[in-house]
Amino acid sequence: MFKRRVVDFAYFINTSEAYQRKKRFFYNLLENSDYRYKKYFDIFMITLIFVSVVILIREVKSHVNDNLLFFNNYIVSIIFFIEYMLRLWISSSVTKIIINQSEHDVMLGDKFRLSKALKDVIITKFKYILSIKAIIDLLAIIPFFHQLRLLRIFILFRVFKLFRYAKSIQTFTSVVAAKKFEFLTLLIFASIIIFVSSVLIYVMEANNPDSPIDTLFEAVYWSIVTISTVGFGDITPITQEGRVVAMFVIVAGIGVFSFTTSLIVTSFTEKLDEIKDTKVIDDIAKIKEFYLICGYDNVAKEVAKELSKNNKVIILEEDYHKTEMAKKDGFVALNYAPGSIESYKKLRINIETQVKAILCLSHSDVKNVYTALTIRSFNKDVFILSLLINKMNRNKLNFAGVNELFYEKELVGIIAKEFVGQPVAFEAIHALRSNYNGMDVQEILISDRVLESYVTVGDLENKKYRVVLLGVHKKKKSRFFFNPIDSTILEVGDYLLVIGNTQFLKEFTTSLHKKGLKNAK
Amino acid sequence: MQNNALIFGNNDYTLEIEKNIASDYENIYVFSLGEDGENSFDLSDNWDDLSNRFDINSCIAFCILEDMAENIFLTISLRDSFKDLTILALAQDKESADKLSLAGATRVIPITQTTANVIVEMLEKPIVTEVFHEILYEKSALKIAQIKIGEHTIFDGKYPSDIEWSRDHGIIVISVVHEDMSREFIYSSKAKHHEIKNGDIFVVVGYEQDIKEFEKLIGSRCE
Repeated sequence: MFKRRVVDFAYFINTSEAYQRKKRFFYNLLENSDYRYKKYFDIFMITLIFVSVVILIREVKSHVNDNLLFFNNYIVSIIFFIEYMLRLWISSSVTKIIINQSEHDVMLGDKFRLSKALKDVIITKFKYILSIKAIIDLLAIIPFFHQLRLLRIFILFRVFKLFRYAKSIQTFTSVVAAKKFEFLTLLIFASIIIFVSSVLIYVMEANNPDSPIDTLFEAVYWSIVTISTVGFGDITPITQEGRVVAMFVIVAGIGVFSFTTSLIVTSFTEKLDEIKDTKVIDDIAKIKEFYLICGYDNVAKEVAKELSKNNKVIILEEDYHKTEMAKKDGFVALNYAPGSIESYKKLRINIETQVKAILCLSHSDVKNVYTALTIRSFNKDVFILSLLINKMNRNKLNFAGVNELFYEKELVGIIAKEFVGQPVAFEAIHALRSNYNGMDVQEILISDRVLESYVTVGDLENKKYRVVLLGVHKKKKSRFFFNPIDSTILEVGDYLLVIGNTQFLKEFTTSLHKKGLKNAK
Repeated sequence: MQNNALIFGNNDYTLEIEKNIASDYENIYVFSLGEDGENSFDLSDNWDDLSNRFDINSCIAFCILEDMAENIFLTISLRDSFKDLTILALAQDKESADKLSLAGATRVIPITQTTANVIVEMLEKPIVTEVFHEILYEKSALKIAQIKIGEHTIFDGKYPSDIEWSRDHGIIVISVVHEDMSREFIYSSKAKHHEIKNGDIFVVVGYEQDIKEFEKLIGSRCE
């Protein structure tokens, strides 16, 4: 009966929207670096840590205000304690473990084993408690017991909490962690040298009354100071044998020092691209809208150049050299395979809200089909445009879910027809398309603001601004009306098609919005 | 209108060009580089066969060799032999396009740039793309035409920007073509000082019927 109630309660909690919402909120606040308010929480915690350390330093030789001490010992500790408990809470789901155990037992036809479920809960939670980060968090709370004077030094453990909040420290840790084996080898080597040299110097010097080395501790201290190439000079060997040992330690020290330096430099060099990519990915996550170009060949280069004039463009290219070329051309490019789901997972982008369109512009139909299919496997709606290199593959790209295809050769055929069939129109449109003499053609959206002041086409006074109104695209009828009469009523969502000098067009567009603003006020 | 289209180069582009211009030309001839036979050519600069077979100056030539160096050589060779031949040449990139223009091509299509521009226009200005496509493909009755102002017109001495073209005549004037064939936008500041006179050419957009009526009123269409 009790077991039944436990399982029921677990299901209730697990399906409770209010509970899950709260848990999700704290998870985002503490762990999700993409959450917009996390950085404020981090700044708050970092401030608390520094305040604690400043108070500790001040307390060493001066009297510190009792209120400050109270704040440091109790308030900060309680805040850290709450944070610790919250992290423990969100680290794993107790209810899920109970439900999984219950479902597992039901499936096997056994009775629900509550003890097994509780054991799993304890093991999971302890795994978290024993993790280095959790231990540091716990040690940072200890100054709460400030009566034990020694424990006050644990305030310094609060500094280690910075690991949680400062990304550069995390990067450094990950770089060092990547060379764990090498560092371990170095540590063992240095330890052996220190041990052997400490014992040797102790044996050589300890019995000499003039020697400053009397104890094994002093011998170890001397060895470490020497091997690290610091050499304070407060303790020096005076016997010839001792000096021979010193020479040996000095040479070994140079080796250890240079090995350490080269290790850190190498691991940074190796991880440099990864670190840069991480920074780029963080920046991409903050972009509201962008075009994603998959593949960086000639057409992609030109498209990126044109699109980047008014938009953000991100390039994914699996070839390292092409990626580097894209970066040199001034674009945000990542050396990720566009045909791999893993690439999009790493990117951490919301395709629905952030991506305007995905352009598969590789000069290989195989790659474009693969990329389109990969994207369609996790998103059905995003607009995909692709180049078609060989027209035999048209159906394959359509089947892969591409919305719009561009067949270069067909385009050339169309242009040839335009040139021979309608030379005047071709020249005029070519001039407009290529922004000849500063002429441009633009689409202006009729928004609520514009509509406040401009109800009909006649109100627009485009002639005053020296722009030509070619027509209006009516949203409701989804049709273009050429040369509309003055009484044509404008509606939200309609588009004006205007031709003119870029500067005049800019002034006209600004005036449409400005006037609306003035009237709104 | 030229009656013969000569396509130099036999590749994927050939088929597409042939298909698209079939309705505009009586005969389309495809010449392959380096092959033996009637419809072949080499880069030896000897075009006697060609000039014997066709009235070359009334033809249009498409230079579409995929090797850019060969295509440039072909263009320069054709231009050298036939001063008035209309040559449309394909270029892979902007650099080759400039060289082809220097070589004497009437119009150059830089494939990469053009593809990129069309893709960008389609994404950024879908309505513009649609309207231009309709005008060029004659799906709608909307047309772009050049109209030459005849003698003693009612517009004589007036400024183009002062006339209500769209309200009174149902057409939109985009630009003026000067005597030296340079184009100027109707509302550019300089146009204000330009009085309409005999021989001016206007580039107008309008429905076929309105353009015809306007032609009757002021002059003649010139293609």
